[in-house]
Amino acid sequence: MSHLNAEIHRLKEELIEMQRHVRMQVSKCRNAIFQFDTDLAREVIANEKYINALELKIDRDCENMLALFNPVAIDLRFILAALKINTNLERTSDNAEGIARYILDLDRPLDPELLKLFEVEQMYETTLSMIDDATQAFIQEDTALARKVFQKDDVLDSINRRATQTALRLIREQHPDHLHFLNLLSIVRKTERIGDQTKNVAEEIIFFIEAKVLKHGEKN
Amino acid sequence: MEYKLKAKKVDVFYGENHVIKGVNMDVLPNTVTAFIGPSGCGKSTFLRLLNRMNDYIDGFRKDGEILIDGQDIYDRKVRVEELRKKVGMVFQKPNPFPKTIYENVVYGLRIQGINNKTVLDQTVEDSLKSAALWDEVKDNLKKSALALSGGQQQRLCIARALATQPSVVLMDEPASALDPISTAKVEELIYSLKEKYTIIIVTHNMQQAGRVSDNTAFFYMGELVEYGSTKDIFTNPQNQRTQNYITGRFG
Amino acid sequence: MNSATKNRIIDRAFKWFGIACTLFGLVMLGIFLADIVGEGIGRIDWDFLSDGPSRKAEKAGILPALAGTLWVLGLTAIIAIPLGISAGIYLEEYGKKNRLASIIEVNIANLAGVPSIIYGLLGLEIFGRIMGMGGSLLAGSSTLALLILPIIIVATREAIKAVPRTIREASFGLGASKWQTIRMQVLPAASGGIVTGVILALSRAIGETAPLIVVGALAFIDSVPTSPGDDFTVLPIQIFNWVSRPQKAFLVNAAAGIVVLLAVTFVMNGIALYLRQRWQKKVKW
Repeated sequence: MSHLNAEIHRLKEELIEMQRHVRMQVSKCRNAIFQFDTDLAREVIANEKYINALELKIDRDCENMLALFNPVAIDLRFILAALKINTNLERTSDNAEGIARYILDLDRPLDPELLKLFEVEQMYETTLSMIDDATQAFIQEDTALARKVFQKDDVLDSINRRATQTALRLIREQHPDHLHFLNLLSIVRKTERIGDQTKNVAEEIIFFIEAKVLKHGEKN
Repeated sequence: MEYKLKAKKVDVFYGENHVIKGVNMDVLPNTVTAFIGPSGCGKSTFLRLLNRMNDYIDGFRKDGEILIDGQDIYDRKVRVEELRKKVGMVFQKPNPFPKTIYENVVYGLRIQGINNKTVLDQTVEDSLKSAALWDEVKDNLKKSALALSGGQQQRLCIARALATQPSVVLMDEPASALDPISTAKVEELIYSLKEKYTIIIVTHNMQQAGRVSDNTAFFYMGELVEYGSTKDIFTNPQNQRTQNYITGRFG
Repeated sequence: MNSATKNRIIDRAFKWFGIACTLFGLVMLGIFLADIVGEGIGRIDWDFLSDGPSRKAEKAGILPALAGTLWVLGLTAIIAIPLGISAGIYLEEYGKKNRLASIIEVNIANLAGVPSIIYGLLGLEIFGRIMGMGGSLLAGSSTLALLILPIIIVATREAIKAVPRTIREASFGLGASKWQTIRMQVLPAASGGIVTGVILALSRAIGETAPLIVVGALAFIDSVPTSPGDDFTVLPIQIFNWVSRPQKAFLVNAAAGIVVLLAVTFVMNGIALYLRQRWQKKVKW
């Protein structure tokens, strides 16, 4: 294996590691929500530091590879994609941290009824499966798998829209748990952002493999 | 860690010309160090100091010390022939002897008076394998080295330099006369050789320095302007002149 | 007429002038060869090659002269080659490049241009008289060796100079000493050029007459020399001697002698040419 190939391989490993950590953050958020586990929420916040450090390292590696190897074609696209995937993963982790903080705001567990109303269970299931698809697509360089992420994101979008309506209804009905349903709405919003970021990751995977730019357009 | 090579306040004069000015440098073992800089900046002169190839040049004079494994290589007690066995050299143009591939590789041993066929055969195989040439030539060891392609010739020259079991290998623009494919092969080879050797390479090609080296030294007008890890030099050089040179904004 | 047309005409005119000059030389040589060969070839037979000189033209042969020529050739080679090559190596590889060296260099080049009669006088004085060799083969050969020494030195130096610096560097870089580098790389690579120079120098030596006459080679020797101390003659002197006879038959002998001498020189030049070409083909850096 050539020197550049070895470096690219290493970079890929680092990104997979990053994806693995980010997925763990999101799934810890889910468990923290459903089990009202504040220790887990605090763990998510603590882990954010590690992910930030990993992001800086990957950025630095990309910079070095661009400076030292003058990569072209797929190598160049891979490194450019890696930079953006890295940024998106770090933001996902930021969102997970935000979700964890909302959980810590609460004085008691979320009402299971409320969770059902906001379709949180389904939302996390979809999000985690999107992250898994994106990770697998990245590992196997499988663009078909990456494209699945786009369809799943539509599910999140509609849940997000319905969440707004649900919140409005609850306000009209003068639901007593203001803090709870407002925080839950924020959690839904942030989770939807995580979906968007995962979609961006999928776009970058397709960009580096197929050299197609899918941003701001039809995805098929 | 022990430094493989240490230069202390080295000055070189050719007659009236002051061509190396107070260079200090430490090189760790098992690293690749690249010397870069414009033509006439002193990088080749400095490289050739390290195995005393400048000794025969008229008007050559040196101040300061150069230590390899802690030994001053310009000390009276050091025999230059012994030094060059330890510090091998590969040149800009492939320069195989007009002899067979086999005889090229064993030349360094023959001049030491080693003629034992088993030893020579083993050296040929080991050196050619280290130089990633064995598979291409193993059936043609008795063929003239001049029949090889330029890239193969250069790898043969590397094998020849490895045959005397040096610990330092100096390379003076080893890929500048080669096509891109051969260049890539030689670069891969250099990168893999650092496991066993300490390598110092002069190159005009900045990308090459980036690809193969751990540390980079930028020379300008006989001075060592900047010396540090290649990553740092290529992403954040500390000296304006280094920045200008590596970004091509020179002059 | 514009300048391009004018230049083209000049160009063509010069080309034809050049062809004419070349042809003149070739035609003259051709006529000469044809004349000599036509006159002398019939005279060459075994008796001509194996007989000694005689007052009767038809009984005269060239054996002592031919043997003398071969003796001189051999002795000259033995004396001149080691001296010349060693001096060439010294000057090129070891000698310091200072003012003395450049004076020596210029003088060696000049020596190659000194008229051969001067060498003859020198040989007569030093080898013949001071060293007491008289008119022997050794004196003659030593004189001729002096004569061709500059040619061999210059040829050696040129051949050594033509060996690329990169080969020397490769050898030094592997820890070879200077002498190892010269013996194992420089001399083998330069050998074609050196051998060519040596043969050309020797073929000049066998054509020389004047210095040998001065040293004391005799025209009339009826036995083959058996040691370096013997008196001798050589082909050119024998030919010169025959040409100066009034009888027509001796002129035919001279022509035949010339043919033999020419044959020897052509063979030597041929060998030189062959070696040079083989060397050029073998070595391409």
